[in-house]
Amino acid sequence: MSDSLRDRLEVVFKDISSEVDVDGRLTVHANPASVLSVLGFLKDDGYDYLVLVSCIDWIDEGALEVVYVLSRYLDPADTDGGRVPMLLKTRVPRESPVLASSIEIFPVAEPHEREIHELFGIRFYGHPRLTPLFLEREYEVPPFRKDFDTRQYVEEVFGNVPPVGEGTQAL
Amino acid sequence: MQVLRLILSPLAALVIGILFLGLSRKFMARIQWRYGPPLYQPLIDILRLFTQRSVSHGVVFDLGIILTLAASFVIVLFLPFGGLCPMSGSGGLLVVLYMMLLAPLGMALTAGESANPNSSIGISRWFILALGYEVPLLLVLLAVMTRYDTISLVEIVAAQRSHTSSIATFPLVLSGVAYLLIMPAVMGLRPFEVVQAPQEISSGPMAELGGRYLAMATVQHALSMFIGISLFVNLLWGGASNPLVFLLKMLVMFALVLWVNAAFPRLRIDQAIRFLWRWPTFVAFVGLLLVVVIGD
Amino acid sequence: MDRNQLIKWIEAPAKMAHKYSLHAVYFCTGCGIIEIPPAITARWDAERFGVLPAATPRHANLFLITGYVSLKTLRAIIRTYEQMPEPKYSVGFGSCPINGGMYWDSYNTIKHLDRYIPIDGWIAGCMPRPEAIFVAVTHLWTLIEKDMADGYKRYRVHYSEYRANQERILGALEWPPLFPKE
Repeated sequence: MSDSLRDRLEVVFKDISSEVDVDGRLTVHANPASVLSVLGFLKDDGYDYLVLVSCIDWIDEGALEVVYVLSRYLDPADTDGGRVPMLLKTRVPRESPVLASSIEIFPVAEPHEREIHELFGIRFYGHPRLTPLFLEREYEVPPFRKDFDTRQYVEEVFGNVPPVGEGTQAL
Repeated sequence: MQVLRLILSPLAALVIGILFLGLSRKFMARIQWRYGPPLYQPLIDILRLFTQRSVSHGVVFDLGIILTLAASFVIVLFLPFGGLCPMSGSGGLLVVLYMMLLAPLGMALTAGESANPNSSIGISRWFILALGYEVPLLLVLLAVMTRYDTISLVEIVAAQRSHTSSIATFPLVLSGVAYLLIMPAVMGLRPFEVVQAPQEISSGPMAELGGRYLAMATVQHALSMFIGISLFVNLLWGGASNPLVFLLKMLVMFALVLWVNAAFPRLRIDQAIRFLWRWPTFVAFVGLLLVVVIGD
Repeated sequence: MDRNQLIKWIEAPAKMAHKYSLHAVYFCTGCGIIEIPPAITARWDAERFGVLPAATPRHANLFLITGYVSLKTLRAIIRTYEQMPEPKYSVGFGSCPINGGMYWDSYNTIKHLDRYIPIDGWIAGCMPRPEAIFVAVTHLWTLIEKDMADGYKRYRVHYSEYRANQERILGALEWPPLFPKE
């Protein structure tokens, strides 16, 4: 099944590459420009459940890799033997990370993209509200990037808060 | 002598109400296989609450809770406690019936001033619950009043002492059963604990009461438990000529209500109304009908 | 436990009442909330010490901060603490409020809770067992007895410094100062 999907993908899209690993999981690598069309193709093909959108920071290669995990609900006629998710990966440069938002195809991607924007700094154009979801403060370097020095940040921000009075007394 | 009775009766109700609060916590703890606090724990809680600096939300906030407490104290003056009844003139039962609705009213004033949506939900639930149990309660009281041809509580108790308790006579046994079915609602215990509901609406009407206001609300809760049981013992179980026997009868009824409280979960307000307007109302109505038809 | 010594009740009733009626506001921070239900249910009964969970901060006089404090939680903790009526006692539970604990290098948790709200005592552990809650309660009794549990008084006295620390970390606060400067 995944092999026939690979063949069909390679027929339609000229600039993608794909591989299947030992568990039978298909991984498709695409360019940022063609992500939306590949997602639309996969959704029409039956992978209509977006499990999550995640991000990996390849600091040595200078890229941020966005990973879409897609799956399908169990179909009794499916001879695939279970719900094996498939991955769609794309890389954006670290200096100016911009990607198209996939909300028209999968509306459930909205909080995932908001989180990735907040923690990695990727701007998704077409997203209705890229406001902070978890964090309260502003960060110059987004916290999940590998060049964010947590120890230095903690010493600067939290270590410099002065204690009040004599603190807690010992019994 | 009358002044002594006027002081002694609310004092006795206060002491017994607080003892009931402590007894309920100990009882529930033992049912749940744990030790539980000492019996005088509500006294410690009330003392602690009176010494806390509380926040007031305005004049109406203060007056509402005082109205609730005052209403409960006044009702206690009309209820015979063994041989002790300060206001033993005629008309006791009608006064009790009217004043019982002042408690949620006073609390509604307080809860309205709290500006907390949980308080509003709690108060609406309290009024709906009062609507629910007032219907069968009224039918029960009408049956008892018709049977003994009087609205004075002291005369009802005296009539039962000379013959036998109401609950042992034929048509009034139905009224007794109906009152037993609605007693948890009158006292605010499970399965009708929907007003307080600490896990759902943060203690409902009492959500913004701190310090001395909560202490007064706790005292009012103690008195309302006293009133609910005392009314049953006086109207349907013969009262008593002696305060100690009266206390014993109250303890037996309280244990019964606590057993029900321990076993049941909390009903929703619509389930509570559906129950209260169905079987207890039907049984009380049949009881009233039989009392009117059969006569004496 | 000197709850049954009548002479102490007559001498200092308010202090004894505060010791034996500690109602904890049921504020579920972080990981430690999993240790509170065992402490208040049948196996380790906390009600025999007088400790009950309270539904709202207005009914409570004990605040247990049971785990790591992220910045959003700190906002809620400050609001809850300020709503409690005085006298009130706050106890830091677990090692995260003490010095950051396991999250000592996290970008989103505060490291010393003592610098934002006053704390009367700490319980070390990750998470402490329910027995540790009872040891803490008995220590708190001793502190109350000796008039050393004065966190709420310290909050009043040093309020401007606490507020400055809170604003430093959280930015502008939406609520006005609790004790305005005259």
